[in-house]
Amino acid sequence: MLDLLAVVLGGVATYVTRVLFLVTKKVRPPRRSLRYLPLVGPAVLGAIAVPGILAPRGEVSLVETLPAVAAAMLSWLLFRWSKQLVIALVGGLILWWAIVFVLSVMGLRT
Amino acid sequence: MSAPDPSPDRERTRAAIRAGVRDGLLLELGYIPFDLAAGAVMAQTVVDPGVSIASGPIIFAGAAQLVAIQLLGSGAGIPLVVLAVFIVNSRHLLYSASLEPHLEGWSRKQRLIGAFFLSDPTYALMISRFERPEGAGSKREQLGYYFASSIVLWVGWSLLLAVGVLFGGLIPPWVPLELAIPLTFLLLVLPLLKDQAGVVAAAVGGLAALAAQSLPFGSGLIIGAIAGLVAGGIVLARTTPREVASDA
Repeated sequence: MLDLLAVVLGGVATYVTRVLFLVTKKVRPPRRSLRYLPLVGPAVLGAIAVPGILAPRGEVSLVETLPAVAAAMLSWLLFRWSKQLVIALVGGLILWWAIVFVLSVMGLRT
Repeated sequence: MSAPDPSPDRERTRAAIRAGVRDGLLLELGYIPFDLAAGAVMAQTVVDPGVSIASGPIIFAGAAQLVAIQLLGSGAGIPLVVLAVFIVNSRHLLYSASLEPHLEGWSRKQRLIGAFFLSDPTYALMISRFERPEGAGSKREQLGYYFASSIVLWVGWSLLLAVGVLFGGLIPPWVPLELAIPLTFLLLVLPLLKDQAGVVAAAVGGLAALAAQSLPFGSGLIIGAIAGLVAGGIVLARTTPREVASDA
């Protein structure tokens, strides 16, 4: 029950971030912070993406990190080329699966 | 002369709704691996599956949901969970500030309801619609597109998350999906890297989060985000003249 309450309150906190500057012109971000707001997205999304790519199973290692970095680079290239999230994501995943499969067959990855 | 025929506007609104459904479905397709993987990760925690499933329609923000469920699973208290969700979703402050000037004709009620759906993909679709050379059309067309696309995304996200929570464990081990989550977020961050400060914010945020990932309650993400913001802010202050947008 407390977990559900936490999720509901998390939903309220999320709604506040979405509605705050949308609902009235009187409430605007502080002038000084406006300059830095565009950095919020890169900082938060980078903090989510980078650890998962460099340490897919929680730690940096050749057999885990290199396939994931290769997949990330291919995804990046595909996204630059196609501008399509689906193509970039599926392409990266397929390359990652292929490398992981080969490493597993070679007995280098469990 | 007869009064203008209202049907063209109705037809344009219908077309906007159809476009919203189509774009929402296309974007949701890209989220399938992430959605299933997120559900599977949530299912591995000790948190009740019903709570994990409920987080989809209630929070409707994948990263924040993952953080919240993992924090709950590791025994964190409600204040820390809510704070973490607020910090992870604070980028939505930017979305609402950025979208507001485009919603000139929207009523207060429409804004209050629309805000609930203002997630990453909804913002991405809507801002690109507004910034087309022909714009987003009349108010009715804007509302039609916004609510059609966002409701499709909201329903799709919630359903796929539930499938991931309930059946994620059935995905065979030879089809690992754990990289789908970081890859999706990498692809979401790429369009945001428009200058040196953005690149530094993402890189420092990511490396700091990696260095701090062993800390309890998933606080590595928060530390990474704050470190990225500070580093990006320093670069921004040094590389950009100190002026604030005139519409501030």
